[in-house]
Amino acid sequence: MERTVTVVPEDGLHARPASQFVETANSFDADIQLGRADEDDLVPAASMLAVTGLGVGHDESVRLAAEGDDAEAALDALEDILSTPEAKQ
Amino acid sequence: MTERTLSGIGVTPLSGVGTVVWYRPDADLPEPPAAEDVDAEAELARFEDARAAAEDELEAERERTAERVGEEEAAVFDAHVQFLNDPQITDGVTDAIEGGLPAEHAVQETFSEFVEQFENMGGRMGERADDLRDVRDRLVRVLSDGERVDLSSLPEGSVVVAERLTPSDTAQLDPERVAGFVTVTGGRTSHAAIFARSLALPAIVGVGEELQSVEDGAEVVVDGESGDFVVDPSDERKEAAAAAADVDIRHESVETADGVEIEIAANIGTLADLGPAVDRGADGVGLFRTEFLFLDRESPPDEDEQYEAYVEALESFDGGRVVVRTLDIGGDKPVPYLDLPDEENPFLGERGIRRSLGPDADLFETQVRALLRAAASADGANLSVMLPLVSTVEELRAGRERFESIAADLDAEGVENELPEFGIMVETPAAAFMADQFAPHVDFFSIGTNDLAQYVMAAERGNERVSDLGDYRQPAVLRAIDATVSATEGEDCWVGMCGEMAGDPDLTELLVGLGLDELSMSAVTVPQVKAAVAETDTADARELAERVLQADTKAEVAEILTLDQ
Repeated sequence: MERTVTVVPEDGLHARPASQFVETANSFDADIQLGRADEDDLVPAASMLAVTGLGVGHDESVRLAAEGDDAEAALDALEDILSTPEAKQ
Repeated sequence: MTERTLSGIGVTPLSGVGTVVWYRPDADLPEPPAAEDVDAEAELARFEDARAAAEDELEAERERTAERVGEEEAAVFDAHVQFLNDPQITDGVTDAIEGGLPAEHAVQETFSEFVEQFENMGGRMGERADDLRDVRDRLVRVLSDGERVDLSSLPEGSVVVAERLTPSDTAQLDPERVAGFVTVTGGRTSHAAIFARSLALPAIVGVGEELQSVEDGAEVVVDGESGDFVVDPSDERKEAAAAAADVDIRHESVETADGVEIEIAANIGTLADLGPAVDRGADGVGLFRTEFLFLDRESPPDEDEQYEAYVEALESFDGGRVVVRTLDIGGDKPVPYLDLPDEENPFLGERGIRRSLGPDADLFETQVRALLRAAASADGANLSVMLPLVSTVEELRAGRERFESIAADLDAEGVENELPEFGIMVETPAAAFMADQFAPHVDFFSIGTNDLAQYVMAAERGNERVSDLGDYRQPAVLRAIDATVSATEGEDCWVGMCGEMAGDPDLTELLVGLGLDELSMSAVTVPQVKAAVAETDTADARELAERVLQADTKAEVAEILTLDQ
């Protein structure tokens, strides 16, 4: 299952939002990947290196893909992080 | 041996004397043994152990940093843990070990590949490259069993010298044993600088490659105020630095010899400056430069974050006054998320209160809400607020009305709030000329001598060609101060001073004589100024001030002050 989400945090997928994103991705069983919305390549969401390596900034769109039992819940949780303006503690 | 001075950016106004300990975390590893001599299984186990140990260290350092410096700075360690456990990293290292490399070489090789990738991407990615290097060095250190300098157990009086110090490095430093640190790279707001201020350690950053020429074991003086790093210092230099480091600190308030209390407060920028202010015996805060809460970040701090910052400052002093200056943004203080205009003369442009009443009205409202709420907190009665760069009575009135109308909004929302003591900075000639008109509308003035000298003398700050003109000992500057204080006679309005002049102990007697009630300065000079106040007699001081005000040149002012010493 797939979803396209706009990255709201000012930092983009860096620093604290990226940390939270990876931590959340790791907390689900589903195999989750992401990439830039306008590109075909996807990288593992569980890898901090891969996620920050995408260099996604504020207001850019990303494509999330998840497979597995809790895929929908995982996508919901990750979308929530990407749609929250400021990372919460 | 003759002394040699290197210069960098001083980040703490403190001096230290000590012995150089070079910290080179990325020293080369020895050549790896031949692949067939490497026991892959044993090396994989070593890597796993090292990873677990590194994670434990990171957790501990996260805690310590959150406590000492703050949550914001501590968050970087979360990213480090994630890099440490990243599948691409662990797979890479595992492959390299299976290919015949010992664990430390496998770590070095795997990380370096990613570091390079991130570096080539530039921008924000450069910071991630620093994080990766930091994690790599930690793993290599754990694996090589601490063969390099251990920052947590240095000999007493060590001055740590390094290319750069990462958050991981600084978290290990024992401030009791370290006399200071000096780095090749870094700026005023680098991790290392923030850390140095929070621990009140003398520190200089950004010295440049010349620092590499300083040898391990050399005797040095670190002057964190001027940024001078003196190698092989003369005895006089060492004594002066030691004397500066070793002053009697008075935690109680101070009176002149004839019993007039003078409030001696500290200037702070961030909450990390509170520790040194308390340690050096400041009675409170005379200038909280709140714009520092807004710099070096991607979005402004919200109301709650600001509220907590103001309350923390209030709680740091036992009954001491905390004077908060509202946002002074503009021109020379760029803020990435604000659309600041390009101005030909930023110091004469839209800055300070001019922005708060104009384009930054929303930011100002958030700040005022936080301040009004902080004034209703447990120690809120000690809160004072002042507006920067006021030059007309209308600005003062408009600023005051904003406070009153926002307080009414908070009342309507049922949010507890109080109007704090209210004042203005006197830093424009207009404010000094009009002081008698301003005085009835405020509880206090705080004279900002750095800007006042610049504007009175039309001599730009920091421009060496006109530094003689911009000196606060110019008779015109002294007269502007005198005019401001005199205008408050018969009014219920106290007068303070913040700016470098207030922290110059050679001028303390003159300032008491001019009638200042409060002096606020960088924390480091608080003990010297308190000592100078205790030796002052107000009648003598007034007589001195009268003579100085008659002087027609700066040279004459200086002469009268020297003869008086």
